[in-house]
Amino acid sequence: MQLSDFFEPYKGEIKEVTIGPSGKAVKLGGEKTLPFHAFEGKEGAPVRFALEVFDTPPEGWPEHLRSSYADVLSDPVAWADKCVKQFGADLISLYLSSLDSDSCDVKKIAENVKKIADHLSVPLIVLGVGDKDKDAKALVEIAKVCTGKNLLLGPLVKENYEEIAKAALEGGHSIIPQSPLDINLCKELNVKLAKFFPKERIVIDPLSAAIGYGIDYSFSIMERVKQVAVIHNDEMMKAPMVANIGKDCWKTKEAKEDKTQGILWEALTAFTLILAGANLVIMRHPESLKLVKKLISGKE
Amino acid sequence: MILIGENIQILAKVVSNALKERDEKPLQELASKQAKAGADYIDLNVGPARKDPDIMKWLAGVIQEVVKKPLSLDTTNPVAMEAGLSVCKIPPLINSASGKQESKDKMLPLAAKYNCDVVLSVLIDAGIPTDSSSRAEAIMESVAYANEIGIPNERIWVDPIMMPISVDQPQVVELFEFMKILQDICPGAKSTLGLSNLSNGAPEHLRGTLNRICLVMLDRYNCFSAIVDSFDEELVKLAKGQLPDIKNLIYRAMDEEVDTSSLPKKETDIVKTVNVLMGRSLYSHSWLET
Repeated sequence: MQLSDFFEPYKGEIKEVTIGPSGKAVKLGGEKTLPFHAFEGKEGAPVRFALEVFDTPPEGWPEHLRSSYADVLSDPVAWADKCVKQFGADLISLYLSSLDSDSCDVKKIAENVKKIADHLSVPLIVLGVGDKDKDAKALVEIAKVCTGKNLLLGPLVKENYEEIAKAALEGGHSIIPQSPLDINLCKELNVKLAKFFPKERIVIDPLSAAIGYGIDYSFSIMERVKQVAVIHNDEMMKAPMVANIGKDCWKTKEAKEDKTQGILWEALTAFTLILAGANLVIMRHPESLKLVKKLISGKE
Repeated sequence: MILIGENIQILAKVVSNALKERDEKPLQELASKQAKAGADYIDLNVGPARKDPDIMKWLAGVIQEVVKKPLSLDTTNPVAMEAGLSVCKIPPLINSASGKQESKDKMLPLAAKYNCDVVLSVLIDAGIPTDSSSRAEAIMESVAYANEIGIPNERIWVDPIMMPISVDQPQVVELFEFMKILQDICPGAKSTLGLSNLSNGAPEHLRGTLNRICLVMLDRYNCFSAIVDSFDEELVKLAKGQLPDIKNLIYRAMDEEVDTSSLPKKETDIVKTVNVLMGRSLYSHSWLET
């Protein structure tokens, strides 16, 4: 008799999503158990970590965050390279900060994304600024220009998911639908997408918050999403989840005022949401990345 | 099931205008139509009526001129409530009292004084209870208090407070659980709830589906009455037991997993809705499309 004889197998298997073109692709999800419950069922791909790169030099970063990237802040290609080669990021998450300027040219932005994607040895996530119109315009163009590169594009919200998802479908990309901390609206968006978009190319973002700034809401929702998928086998919820935490962590006063505190803030926010079920975490500080990896693996 | 017609309520523009102008015609018409449609009680929701507590007296008076149904006086203001109570010819229903201290002090005693039935919600000073056992705890205390001041269980209509399914689906399941144990904890007590709140926030054209199916489920859990849209014909028929096929399918879907692959759309929709209400599948606004 084995230990596993006592367990009732889970019903739902999270879809395995592949990001990036063949040769440098990374898999997400694929598990048929709850986070860290390898003893109860099939573990999927390991949790993946992306570091953030901005396409224009970021403003308002505290010195103890900026200093890690001081030599590359105005060169996204070099910045991304440093994240991969020096800091061990599994993926790069490119934040389209250039969309914030009034004079942005989406064609140029898309060309720039292509250049970065071509150069990189890891898959690329491309994130808009959260303005539904600007994001849609840019992501549609990027999806076209970068056809075949299997980028992970987001965020798609209820007001712009149709046009972005259609472009992503044509260009062969994956997408991140985002819902405002509401599991019912999360499902709603997935139901609508599932009518024309393949489920194995969806990574959901239930919206993350930092420690002290609403992480309890994020945790509960991510935990429920994972349970509904794995335990109740809800077809619409069996997608890997992303926790995009860099932005929220580094705008807290706690992270800004002190280096050690900031690193802990980001690492523990990441770790908490991994416990809740995140399959992909997008972070900013290389040292918080290192710390959370160490926490998970138990190795130096 | 006893139906309390909700259609005279202050949030409806026609009603608020008519109340302001003291124009009885549209209000009397609404009352007559509801009585004709099958409402057993006519709810008169005037809101808090802070500036104009006499409004309830006037409204109860003009409604009684045209319908012979008991009234459900719906206000949180005890002064307005008493003004209404003083003119009712048929014993009305006080809608509602709660376990909040203020309500215990001012609203509940009116039920004793006027010897009439009273809706008693599970609300307490700490807020709306969030699961079936805290609902039970709250209501047992409030009911005990009501008994002490001379209101027997039989005159208490317990309101477990229905929450919108789109906001908090697990609460619907908790409410059912509470309804199952109500007779054990408050023997002889009646019950009622604001059914339409269930579908608040859901797509407008699908609200009726949720309300109707939930009503049948509640009926099975021995819910005594509900405050409903009197003009939903199918709902009234279901409440009066006139659509046995639908009722039977709902019961079956409550008891077992019904295979929908060979069912027509309407039946499939019923099964899917039962599954959402029972908490078996996660609610989304497009629950019928998955």
